[in-house]
Amino acid sequence: MTAISSGAARKSASKGPGPIVNSLTTGQLPKFVEFYVLAGALIVVGGVMLFLGFNLGGWLFLSALVYLIALGVLSAIAENRRRAVDRIVRSLVTIAFLLAIAPLISTLWTVASNGIGQLNWAFISQTGGAVFNPETLKVDITTGALQAIVGTLEITGIAALMSIPIGLLTSIYLVEYARPNQPIARTVTFLVDVMTGIPSIVAGLFAFSLFTLLVGPKAFSGFSASVALSVLMIPIVVRSCEEMLRLVPSDLREASFALGVSRFSTIVKVVLPTAIVGIITGITLAIARVIGETAPIFIAASFTDNFNANPFSGPMQTLPVLAYTGIKFPGQDIAASNASAWGAALLLVILVVILNIIARVIARVFAPKGAR
Amino acid sequence: MTSHPAVRSRTSSVKAPGSTTASGPRSPQGGAGSSRVKSRPADRIFFGLSFGSALLIMVILAAVAIFLIVQAAPAIAANWASNPDLNSGPTGSFATFWNYVAPLIWGTLWVSAIALVLGAPVAIGIALFISHYAPRRITGILGYLIDLLAAVPSIVFGLWGIIVIRPLLLPLTDWLNHNLGFIPIFSGQASTTGSTILAGGVVLAVMILPIISSISREIFLQTPRLHEEAALALGATKWEMIRMAVLPYAKSGVVSAVLLGLGRALGETMAIALIISPSIGFYWNILTEGKNSQTIAANLALNFPISNVLQREALIGTGLMLFVISLAVNFLARWIISRSNADKSGRKKRRPKAIVEAASAANGPALSASDSPVRATGSATTKPEGTPA
Amino acid sequence: MSARRGHHPEGNTVKFKNVAVVGAFALTATIALAGCASSSGDTGSTTKPSASATADAYKIDPSLTGTITAGGSSAQANAEAAWVAAFTSQAKGVTINYDKSQGSGGGVTNWLAGSYDFAGSDSPLNPTQVTSSASTCGADGAINLPVYLDGVAVIYNLPGVKDLKLSSEVIAKIFSLKITTWNDAAIVALNPKAKLPATAITTVTRSDGSGTTTNFTNYLSQSQPSIWTYAPSNAWPVAGSSAQQGGSGVVNTVKAGEGTIGYADHSAIGDLSSAQIQAGTSKDYVAFSAEGASTAFAKAAVATPTAVEGDLSQKLDYTKLTDKSAYPIPLISYQILCKTFKSADQAKLTKAFVGYVASDIGQKIAAKNAGAAPIPAAMLAKIAKSLADVK
Repeated sequence: MTAISSGAARKSASKGPGPIVNSLTTGQLPKFVEFYVLAGALIVVGGVMLFLGFNLGGWLFLSALVYLIALGVLSAIAENRRRAVDRIVRSLVTIAFLLAIAPLISTLWTVASNGIGQLNWAFISQTGGAVFNPETLKVDITTGALQAIVGTLEITGIAALMSIPIGLLTSIYLVEYARPNQPIARTVTFLVDVMTGIPSIVAGLFAFSLFTLLVGPKAFSGFSASVALSVLMIPIVVRSCEEMLRLVPSDLREASFALGVSRFSTIVKVVLPTAIVGIITGITLAIARVIGETAPIFIAASFTDNFNANPFSGPMQTLPVLAYTGIKFPGQDIAASNASAWGAALLLVILVVILNIIARVIARVFAPKGAR
Repeated sequence: MTSHPAVRSRTSSVKAPGSTTASGPRSPQGGAGSSRVKSRPADRIFFGLSFGSALLIMVILAAVAIFLIVQAAPAIAANWASNPDLNSGPTGSFATFWNYVAPLIWGTLWVSAIALVLGAPVAIGIALFISHYAPRRITGILGYLIDLLAAVPSIVFGLWGIIVIRPLLLPLTDWLNHNLGFIPIFSGQASTTGSTILAGGVVLAVMILPIISSISREIFLQTPRLHEEAALALGATKWEMIRMAVLPYAKSGVVSAVLLGLGRALGETMAIALIISPSIGFYWNILTEGKNSQTIAANLALNFPISNVLQREALIGTGLMLFVISLAVNFLARWIISRSNADKSGRKKRRPKAIVEAASAANGPALSASDSPVRATGSATTKPEGTPA
Repeated sequence: MSARRGHHPEGNTVKFKNVAVVGAFALTATIALAGCASSSGDTGSTTKPSASATADAYKIDPSLTGTITAGGSSAQANAEAAWVAAFTSQAKGVTINYDKSQGSGGGVTNWLAGSYDFAGSDSPLNPTQVTSSASTCGADGAINLPVYLDGVAVIYNLPGVKDLKLSSEVIAKIFSLKITTWNDAAIVALNPKAKLPATAITTVTRSDGSGTTTNFTNYLSQSQPSIWTYAPSNAWPVAGSSAQQGGSGVVNTVKAGEGTIGYADHSAIGDLSSAQIQAGTSKDYVAFSAEGASTAFAKAAVATPTAVEGDLSQKLDYTKLTDKSAYPIPLISYQILCKTFKSADQAKLTKAFVGYVASDIGQKIAAKNAGAAPIPAAMLAKIAKSLADVK
């Protein structure tokens, strides 16, 4: 496609028969103009900064600014203002995306580079332990994360098992059954709003006090921590599922009712599958939020280095707790404790990634065929 | 992801119930209160389960609220100046509970506001990018990448903040303090270790980004295709189409997403506690070491271990205040949504008026738009056409 | 926005079954893995009695079983880990959980509530807590036993300066922000040969309440009451410092910065430089050493027992630390337990552990593995006597 500026088109048109004007591309900037302007901005700002003192962040920021302005002006002159605004918005949105990728890469890189050294089969399959040598009185600490992995899976698993049905059913009630102005619906919405703001340590305190009332003073258990995590998860599940369910077009429901399908079947077979991808996103967000909590675990399930697979009695350790204590309360060998902490953090990230993948697979299985 | 409502490919998944066609006319089932000729056991059980869950949430929340109030009451009512448990340690320099909690409330709101201002626009931009601007084939992967940010536990964000963000922002801190120090938020003595609210705010913004972005993305994807294509067919640019068709449709959902992100920011403990060097007071500064208003959640986490029983109860009282804050913020947001939806009826009809107006208005100027080749000859001297309504 | 639409036949039910089967399998695998792992205890160790053990070596009854739940001070945490490893390697039926995240205050609060068998705390019970302990322990009350000894190190990061000497006056002035640059006359006077730059001093302190802060502020307010006018407390009193979470936060921040100075438990500072502290007003500057801390304890610890017989609470009189044999800023940490337990078996178990901790060999283990200083033998004998009364 030839790039003909509107100026050239004008000249040729006013001079009579000349080169054929491509009517499809007049009044438009050339195809890859954004890249050219970006390159230009980078070079110009880089050149200026070489004199003023170079700084990577400053260079990128100023280049982006110059690029936006230059593109906007160029487009406003060559095309029209609407197009200019459109191009600027496109660039802004792309910059926003790149702005998100940078911290993502940086965070994942930090975790991976610090933790990868620790990640071997021994670390995953062994409980952290200590070997005492009575001759030298030396205690050798071996790092292991098995107790933390089992603890994380059990505590988060039980919390999810409790929160997901409750949250999903509540959002179904709010969207499908209740009228917006009914007092119960309004109260539940109001209360869920309040619950989103509970600090995690308060949830842990609540669970611990509840179990102290029920069981007695030494009430540390993994189940208590699960209850604390459920209190944190439920509002997220309710809120996000509610939004997703509301987005299901009402004509789908009405078509289903028109065919004589019961409300229960409509919800289960029409509404839920339509919204399933969004619901799974919301649930995954909720799980990701609580799987990394440390404070409620400390309060409700105390702290231990020992292996404990029974969630109903005794303290349990989770991966974030292992990571936190490795950094905050290192042993005598600070480097080794920190390395173990990063290993635990990396394991946690990997675990959540796996959960994410499983969730997406489930969503794809249940989503209606032909949908995105 | 919904399929296009106009294409009823879903009818295959809706089976007309074969065994129950017999008895009597079936009334369309709308709303919980309408009378039904017959209600099947599955319906009743399901309704019972849903309603029961809603009630259970109310019970849980009531229990938490009662627990908090009962625990906090003694500390709120005590005389802080004379009580030996309360006039030393972390609560030592405050005359009453309200003197202690008011600057904490300010700190919570301030840090969350900074995180929202930094994070929400970027998150919405990302959601728009993935839903409307990115090449179709890679949207799945891109969405997944952003969701990956949610997989990172908050302790890792805290450590990343310490290791990466604090040193990274030091030059910016110095520059801002040096050149723009007359603006109150940039004033004060610049930090040398980077333990500033700016660093904490940036990390918090990164933490709430995936929440806001994922939910907004799903909502943007649900915009009816018809509306989008109608706008495009009328000559709108992509941005205009988004402004007219997507954003009005998504408004309340995006506000919900932002509120969820705000909820996360209000309650975030670990990252703030690790990164920011706190003090309790009403400060605007974001670049200093000694004038960083502390948040309620981080203060709770930092001081809970060392506190005696009454101090713990005072801390729980501050947690109660956090409840109140999130309540107030949510109230405000829902009021804003309901005000802007005031002329729209019901919750299921989302036909934004903007598109109808734009369509009628665009009929005029669209035909005389300067991008038509005939007009190009004279466009050098005329001003660019204004945008359609 | 939708992708291409095709028409696929329904197959949801079959796929759901597959997913369910896979899920059930995964769940079973997890439980099996958990079961396998728990049955293999990991703390292998040699059990043959060692010839190098001293004649009065503490005897652990290998048939002891049960669980000890405890928690509190993080200063003793590394020592606790070593003690637990050593004890459970010889008494294999015992499980000990020490929660180091609660801090001294949290440890005492949880112990008062009955959740712990003993509490680790950097200060003995204060009068209010002693009163409350009557309801936890009954009329017999509780005893505070000093089992861990360490020092507060003043750490700094100043490139090119290795052996910084500081007096209590200069330390007080630096941490109360009265001295603000490294080349201040007062610091130069103490370190004439060091090349002190003109960098600003950044004081790094604790943002969370801590027993280390209590010890450090005790020292400052006793030694320099005219300069350090704040009351000793577990919360850092001076605004404007760079407050970090945890001792490790202070250590990491001092390490990462330039011209930073802070305070932390000596056992936690890793390879950072620790200043030499002037002993009182003499001309000796003392670096931290285990012997120095033990001597400091022997010289400066004044018994301030509660009304409970056998209580061994101590108060430090810093004015007694005036020569180079004693490190000027020691840190004592206690284990607090009831004299009468609700269950005799629990009493026997806890007594055995605390006795091991406070034995000669226990103190050696702490010194070797946690950088602690051994408590002097005279005090250990008193602790053994107090423990004998626990039932």
